[in-house]
Amino acid sequence: MSQVCLVCQNIDCKNRGSEQLMAELQKRVAAKGLDDVEVKPYMCFGACQEGPNIVLYPEKSWYAKVTVGDLDEITEHLAGGPHVRRLDTIDSSLKELIYQLLDTGIF
Amino acid sequence: MEGILFPHGVPEGREELKKYQSRDGYEALAKALKSSPEDLIKSVSDAGLRGRGGAGFPTGKKWQFTREAPEQPRYLVLNGGEDEPGSKKDRVLLENLPHLVIEGAILSAYAIGAAKAYLYINANYDVAIKSINDALSEAKNGGYWGEDIFGSHFNIDFELIPAPHNYVAGEDTAVLEVIEGKKAWPRQKPPFPVTVGLFGKPTSVNNVETLANVAPIVRNGADWYRRFGTAESAGTMIFSLDEDVNRPGVYELPFGTPLRYLIEDCGGGMRGGKKIKAIMPAAPSSAYLSPEKIDTPLDHNSMRDAGSGLGCGVVKLVAEGTCIVEEILKISEFFTAESCGQCPACRMETNTLTSLIKKVQAGQGGQPMLEQFGKVLAFNKGKGFCNLIAMPGPPIESALKLFPGDFEAHLTTGKCPAH
Repeated sequence: MSQVCLVCQNIDCKNRGSEQLMAELQKRVAAKGLDDVEVKPYMCFGACQEGPNIVLYPEKSWYAKVTVGDLDEITEHLAGGPHVRRLDTIDSSLKELIYQLLDTGIF
Repeated sequence: MEGILFPHGVPEGREELKKYQSRDGYEALAKALKSSPEDLIKSVSDAGLRGRGGAGFPTGKKWQFTREAPEQPRYLVLNGGEDEPGSKKDRVLLENLPHLVIEGAILSAYAIGAAKAYLYINANYDVAIKSINDALSEAKNGGYWGEDIFGSHFNIDFELIPAPHNYVAGEDTAVLEVIEGKKAWPRQKPPFPVTVGLFGKPTSVNNVETLANVAPIVRNGADWYRRFGTAESAGTMIFSLDEDVNRPGVYELPFGTPLRYLIEDCGGGMRGGKKIKAIMPAAPSSAYLSPEKIDTPLDHNSMRDAGSGLGCGVVKLVAEGTCIVEEILKISEFFTAESCGQCPACRMETNTLTSLIKKVQAGQGGQPMLEQFGKVLAFNKGKGFCNLIAMPGPPIESALKLFPGDFEAHLTTGKCPAH
């Protein structure tokens, strides 16, 4: 698995539809034949007010306030397309904390 | 050592009304009802009584805030949820000295001007619940509660509420939710219960041990009470020791007694004659102390200065040869399981800490793994509705500081140094 797509499933993100987002993203990734991408849940990225949050690892891209309408672009990105800049709104200090945790193997 | 709550040691069985009366039981109530609630609050403030549920908040102040809150009616809640692992003090008081607790509750209700008191008691405490119910019947027949007590125009009614047995259910505002028939979820504060509490009305939530101290204060006066303990931590406190020591049980000691006296003279030292590796004076959420700190006085200020706390008096020992990584994993898993789940930050923190400790335990991640603990704790500091989010930090951070060798052993060999 070369890329993991982590979808936050803590309360706030869930309340904003992250379960459905994860299921939809799994479908689209499968439909596109992206066998090296795994879409899986994550406990929390600590950016609850900005949810639902999705983090691509080890690439380290963070997409916030994701809606179903954004998923085609995210799937394109996972397939090698461009970064979805408008969803990249999280401040760098939080990114650093979470990326370090992911680097240590916490997922 | 002379005690306030257990003047003749921990009593056997339930103290019946006659026995309680024979040692001046309910005389504090008769005395207090002859003067004003304000006088009663002043006595308790002058005595320096502080809450025994963990936070150590001045009881007189809590009562005053409740009494001065403009809304009516006001409520008293006796918090006997006692969900801290290893804590036995409230159960012993409820089971063996129910009248001392009830007299304290009636006095507290009089002080704040409440006509209704809820007795919130751990649902697993069958003996305590029966003991309180029996004592309530005796006290009612004796005319100590009900309407117009001693012709004072003061009325008080009691209702017993079985408390769910989980950690958060003992938190003040979670207690209020349960009494209102809802899930045991803490509320966001402020507002505090003293202004917006049960059913939105001013409420004083007091621990069982706190209220058990009230009648002796009223009976004997603030000066007498201050003969016990230290200037900032007046009176005594009940400490719970578990199977770590040769003589497990509850021990009432004046504040300021050295920790060594509790462990060695009361508890008879560590079971099996083992050496102490670490002491946790307020399990499971305080910092560990090294054995060199065994002479630290058991009072709020001394424990704070030593880098730990008193909590509700559950003192846990870690034996030499035990791996601290395994110990903090148990603590972290406890808080992860007990986090009620309503605050995302608390779920994130407790789950992440447990994952981190498991990685260390498995020897993964090296030094960078250890650096994550402080970052995760700092990120979540001050978040969450209740204090649970702040609880895993002191044990974990003190373990890292005091026993770096245990962590290194796991990270370099992947094996536990204790096995």
